[in-house]
Amino acid sequence: MNNSLEGKKSKSASRVSLSGAISDRDGARLLEEVSEIVSSGAKEVVIDLGNLERLDSRGGAWLVRAVRQGAAAGAAVSLAGAKGEVAGFIELIRSSFEEPPAHEPFRRGLFESLGEKGISVWKEFIDVCRLIVDSVYWCFIAPVEGRGIRWKGLLTELYEMGSRAVGIICLLNFLMGLVIAMLSAAQMRLFGVEILVASLVVIGFARELAAVMTGVMVSARTGSAIASELATMTVSEEIDALRGMGINVTRFLIAPKVLSIMIAMPILTMFAFVTGVAGGFALGIFSLGFTFDRWWTQTVQALTLGDLGQGLIKSFFFAMIIVMVGCHNGLRVTGGARGVGLATTRSVVMDIFFIIVADMVFATFFYFFT
Amino acid sequence: MNEEAAIIEVRDLVGRYGDRLILDRISFKVHPGEILVVLGASGCGKTTLLKYMLGLLKPASGSILYRGRDISEMDEEEFGKLLRRVGVSFQSGALFNSMSVAENVGLQMEEYGQMDRDLIDILVRMKLSLVGLGEYGYLMPAELSGGMKKRVGFARAIAMDPEIVFFDEPSAGLDPITAAGLDKLILDIRRLLEVTMIVVTHELLSIQAVANRVLMLDRGRIIFIGTIEEAEKSSNPRVRQFFDRRPDKTIAAQDITV
Repeated sequence: MNNSLEGKKSKSASRVSLSGAISDRDGARLLEEVSEIVSSGAKEVVIDLGNLERLDSRGGAWLVRAVRQGAAAGAAVSLAGAKGEVAGFIELIRSSFEEPPAHEPFRRGLFESLGEKGISVWKEFIDVCRLIVDSVYWCFIAPVEGRGIRWKGLLTELYEMGSRAVGIICLLNFLMGLVIAMLSAAQMRLFGVEILVASLVVIGFARELAAVMTGVMVSARTGSAIASELATMTVSEEIDALRGMGINVTRFLIAPKVLSIMIAMPILTMFAFVTGVAGGFALGIFSLGFTFDRWWTQTVQALTLGDLGQGLIKSFFFAMIIVMVGCHNGLRVTGGARGVGLATTRSVVMDIFFIIVADMVFATFFYFFT
Repeated sequence: MNEEAAIIEVRDLVGRYGDRLILDRISFKVHPGEILVVLGASGCGKTTLLKYMLGLLKPASGSILYRGRDISEMDEEEFGKLLRRVGVSFQSGALFNSMSVAENVGLQMEEYGQMDRDLIDILVRMKLSLVGLGEYGYLMPAELSGGMKKRVGFARAIAMDPEIVFFDEPSAGLDPITAAGLDKLILDIRRLLEVTMIVVTHELLSIQAVANRVLMLDRGRIIFIGTIEEAEKSSNPRVRQFFDRRPDKTIAAQDITV
């Protein structure tokens, strides 16, 4: 309401009266008025609410602000004359008039933050080691000791991770085979040895591409699914419920995933190898004009069992990386929806990073030591 | 409270989930400034009714009117404006996990209020103090207990001084002291700010403390609507059973639909 504000000034105490209701404009003027009075030297300010008819939260907030502002400048601001509902409301928000004790976030120095980072990395490392040991026990040792595998869980996971991924992996690798063949054919043409494209494609897929492409695809499909599933279960206390029932989480949830991805990955890698090479065949026969027999002979001559073995060993390790990274990230999540999203992202990024690092380690090993 | 002045009116509302009939031709009015308690056994459609009244679900038939305006005839802007005058506190708090408690409570003020930072801070703290959590604005929802989440949800619902507040089980799962505190707060807010409230609950003590009128649902139908005194004297066997806390012969016998 307009003109609801009236100021009276005297030497020691001053009054400001409000009437009607406090709008934002009134509130701003109230603040000015109070600071003016305080700066003129008054030690006491009384805000007279005798004519105030209505007070809502927003008006209350302006009053709180005026009182606190006065107090900060060293004057005592008091409210007087409130009646009926206004008085009731002021009583309700009484505690807000005091200046809140500021919540000071703890500040870390350089060494403290470095140390904290170090400790958290170390803890995470220990967690991962524990998870790996646990998984190895429940996958390979416990079944021998007669403590069983969840066959039903294993089959569901195998279908989800393996069968359902075959299509996309075949398509992806066929296209990749075509791309590699086209890329190398353009170079080989300069030397007139286009037939070597067949060797290059088959060796490339056997040693590297089949395993890496499958690894990337599976980490995007399965790694993210594992991480988000476990993260959601953690957030919604399902993991706690399992533990509370005395059911071992590793046996119940993780072991089936580990076993099935270790079965599925090498098989998927074989599919990837075959379709990748088929991509090379497609280019060689339909575009470069070789006969099937010629291309086939060259392919078979170039391929050794060792190359294929390399790819399969790698795919096995990639599988372990994907499932362990996914489970680890899923189980350490905190917070709600956002935590689940972060865990999934982190898991896929870590998957691909570790796959490439592992690939490099293998490549170095085979290059220098065989 | 005359008949014309209903702030919300529900007319012949039919609600379904797929083939399952949840609400069967429900009609009632909410008068301005009253506290209407919606009660009934678990799974009788209380929360669903709330969702229809908030326009979160589209009724199979029937209509919901706010001050005589049918919400199905409102465009998005008009309905949005209406919802800004409505506060909702959900069963489990429904807090945004990526925001601190203070940000949760202040969200609507920041989005719509055109207020400066200081005023928002004061208001947020004021609302949090009302539910006894004034000191905890900096915490994240993941760090709160269930009861605290619920109270923050309550503070968020009343953040903008709404005209109508829906509370879905405000005191379920809280200790008796906090629950009684919330009941008192509901009464205070109603008295001081003239808010209309629709409270879904099945806490008998809470009902007796806050209700002006009660509406009882059973298997998708209203079996009783009237004052709390009338409810306690009602001869309807289901109503009696509810207030006397007598069990069914077997719980399975009552065909529970969630």
